[in-house]
Amino acid sequence: MIKKEGSFKYLEIKNISKNFGETFVLKNIHLDVFKGEFLCLLGPSGCGKTTLLRIISGLERQTNGDIVQDGLLISNSPTEKRDFGIVFQSYALFPNLNAKQNIAYGLENKKINKKEIEKRTNNLIRLVGLEKNSDQFPSQLSGGQQQRVALARAMALSPGLLLLDEPLSALDAQVRSKLRNEIKLIQKKLNLTTIMVTHDQTEALSMADRVVVMERGHIAQIGTPFELYENPITPFVADFIGKMNLLKGKYDKKNCVFYYLNNRFLISQNTEYSFLENCLLGIRPEDIEIIKFRKNIEKEENILRVKIKEITYLGTIFRLTVVLESKLEENIFVDVISNQVISNNLKIGDFIDIKLKKEKIKLFESNL
Amino acid sequence: MYFKKNLNKSFNILLLKILIIFVFILVSFFIIIPLLPLFLKSFSDNKNNFIGLENFINYIQNPSLTQSFINSLKVALTTTFFSVLIGFIYAYALTRTRLPFKKFFNTFSLFSLYIPPLAVAIGLIYIFGKQGLITQGFFGTIPGFDINLYGFNGIIIGEIFYCFPQALIILVSALNLSDQRLYEAAESLKASPLRKFLTITLPNIKYGLMNSFFICFILSFTDFGVPKVVGGNFNVLATDIYKQVVGQQNFAMGATISIYLLVPSILAFLIDKNFQKNEASLISGKSIPFKPRKNLIVDSIMFIFCSLILILVIGVFSSIVLASLIKIWPYDISLSLQNFRFSNVAGNGYEPYFNTVFMSIYTAIFGTIFVFFTAYLVEKFKPLKKIRMLIYFFSTLPIAIPGLVLGLSYILFFNKPSFSVPFLDFQIFNPFSLLYGTMGILVLANIIHFFTVCFISATTTLKQIDKEFEEVSESLKVPFYKTFLRITIPLSLPTILEIGSYYFVNSMITVSAIIFLYPAKIPVSSVSIVNMDDAGDTASAAAMSTLIVLTSLFVRLIYEFTSRNVSKKSSVWINPLET
Repeated sequence: MIKKEGSFKYLEIKNISKNFGETFVLKNIHLDVFKGEFLCLLGPSGCGKTTLLRIISGLERQTNGDIVQDGLLISNSPTEKRDFGIVFQSYALFPNLNAKQNIAYGLENKKINKKEIEKRTNNLIRLVGLEKNSDQFPSQLSGGQQQRVALARAMALSPGLLLLDEPLSALDAQVRSKLRNEIKLIQKKLNLTTIMVTHDQTEALSMADRVVVMERGHIAQIGTPFELYENPITPFVADFIGKMNLLKGKYDKKNCVFYYLNNRFLISQNTEYSFLENCLLGIRPEDIEIIKFRKNIEKEENILRVKIKEITYLGTIFRLTVVLESKLEENIFVDVISNQVISNNLKIGDFIDIKLKKEKIKLFESNL
Repeated sequence: MYFKKNLNKSFNILLLKILIIFVFILVSFFIIIPLLPLFLKSFSDNKNNFIGLENFINYIQNPSLTQSFINSLKVALTTTFFSVLIGFIYAYALTRTRLPFKKFFNTFSLFSLYIPPLAVAIGLIYIFGKQGLITQGFFGTIPGFDINLYGFNGIIIGEIFYCFPQALIILVSALNLSDQRLYEAAESLKASPLRKFLTITLPNIKYGLMNSFFICFILSFTDFGVPKVVGGNFNVLATDIYKQVVGQQNFAMGATISIYLLVPSILAFLIDKNFQKNEASLISGKSIPFKPRKNLIVDSIMFIFCSLILILVIGVFSSIVLASLIKIWPYDISLSLQNFRFSNVAGNGYEPYFNTVFMSIYTAIFGTIFVFFTAYLVEKFKPLKKIRMLIYFFSTLPIAIPGLVLGLSYILFFNKPSFSVPFLDFQIFNPFSLLYGTMGILVLANIIHFFTVCFISATTTLKQIDKEFEEVSESLKVPFYKTFLRITIPLSLPTILEIGSYYFVNSMITVSAIIFLYPAKIPVSSVSIVNMDDAGDTASAAAMSTLIVLTSLFVRLIYEFTSRNVSKKSSVWINPLET
């Protein structure tokens, strides 16, 4: 676990489990969140990320385990006694109150005078940039504006912890990327510890200080976006964060050679893999090169001769889907910059040689 | 290890639990517990000695009483068949055809909901009775025609008037849930109209169809008003109970017959409930509503059909009004308001009318508050799940409890100042007995009698309000009752008004729940209609009926006006923009 400099553990999640009857939703979750950190819970639907967020808020009760926030044990505290603000996927803005009234809703219940409420509400409105819309009702606001109201409302009581449950998923792509930056800016400015649930890996990678990848009720890996992309520790993480080709074969530890069908691949010496035999070779599409046709290719390492099955244009790059003649059903993806495809006049059905960059190859334990 | 702060106690959750338990006690004492003395009574003689099944055996051995049971079943099955059939065709015309003047037909289709069944029966007398307009050929101007009103025929016609709008409401909402895309898909596959009807339309509305079937069965099986007025010698269970209790003061036999009336209703209710459990929405949020196409033949047939139904409804209403304005039908047909004096009948004048209006206002106010708050506690919160489920079940039950049975059980329960604890020489004071002999018991009986429909409509509305509002409030440390007042009530205002007007109208027209309960010093108008009719003063009964219908319509108009204003005011936030 990396500890950021000058920050301390703000939230400790200790051995949290949650069952719904026979089926478990979360199993032995351990997680520390540091003060001022932006943490993302990332995973496919049904992985338990939203349940974990709801347990932190007290809206759902864990079956086992403890939560400590800012040195206080809050495992059994009711929601209203916990110190957090939340933004729901649906925003849940009160439709009969205008933007300003929505934002002031929590403040009005506190015993503070009207001037103070007015001042703090106006500050929040300014913070999220809604000066012109404060009198409008939610139905008169755009999706992005509604989102800002929900964010301001959640921050109104100056909570120590901000919880965001898929806050951007109802918005269209352009608004989403704009708001990503804004949320991040506000979060950093206020040094507000934030936990966001999302199923969108781009969102997680671009916003979070650290990402928690979850899979079927447990944590698959925790790390910075860079760590997760460069050093995924399971094939699930590897394929969920970005794209990874996974080839099943045998590993010879002594010689650092991986056998895939009748091809052999050399693996970097400095990597240590304790497991033997059946395992998975992982390589990202951008870490595969195309080699021009040459006669003496036997001398080159880590080469495969493949047939192009599909060419997909993705803007600056093409993604080629290629197959081995002996194994037509197993697709391998290769990302090639567009120029190369055009200048080599690559077509579906062409045979090409591809090279797997030795230093980029990962091996994973195969549990298939 | 960690700081101990008082973080674990929540006043709000405690308050919530207390409220849920409080409401649970109330619904138990108002709905379930009063039925117990009724059951006990049916196993006792009139001196309160336990006699086991003797009453039930006496009942079965009495051929005239068992005949009533068979008659009630016959009435219920026939009424149900015709009400659902007519309701379905009318609903189909409103939702799936290009019926001309649809708005008019839509508005007036529910007109008969504002006419008490008693009044419908009186109207029928003036049309089809011995001196009726049709029987006598419009005062002898054309050849007459006698349908033999008194007895089975009259009861059936009256009950259809009463039940058909109920079926119509259910079937219109079932038919409204449609998906144009299914019909387009079927058309592209070359399905015939009949096949489309059998494979798309019918499966889609089968729950609505079943529900309307059971509702009509329960209503017509247990109705008292129509058979009382036009039943003649054709006895049914409801009139038997009345005769036993009011005529012979035989409460034990009244209670026994009540059980015979209650059991089939509860059975129908449970079958229906079980059936509706399987209902899964076949219509997704992305559905495109069905848009009927022009079809000259179908549209014209529907127009003729719906017109005939409306002519009958309006005809019955007009004949009531006409009868109330005519001096001495059919001998002196000059117009006069003398029937509205109510001076020659028991001398009560307008007192019953005003009592009824006040009773209906109280029912509307207290009923709406109680029903909405109950639905809110059941629907919106997580604590005490089992108790909330029981409250839900109890709240849906009253629709299966016939008004007469409810009334009789209320007498038996509320007139006891105290209960004796079995085997102990100990008496418990019955606080609810304070209501006995006051208008309070009438209001309470009405609230419970019409509870189910109001409860379901409140629950449906509350379900549509985002459940995350409560969670947001919790996270903002705002107690639930503030959010209830500031958010939930404003958002539910249209439904709250609807419930209030439903309570008012039904309290105005009901007779069965209160006929045993009304204290002698508080006469009510629907009972005085029964008494005037019994005394042969049908014209005054028609006049009182006219007043009731006009009052109900007036209140409904106020409702329409208010709710239009409310929805205008709230339209800004009621139709959220799609994002």
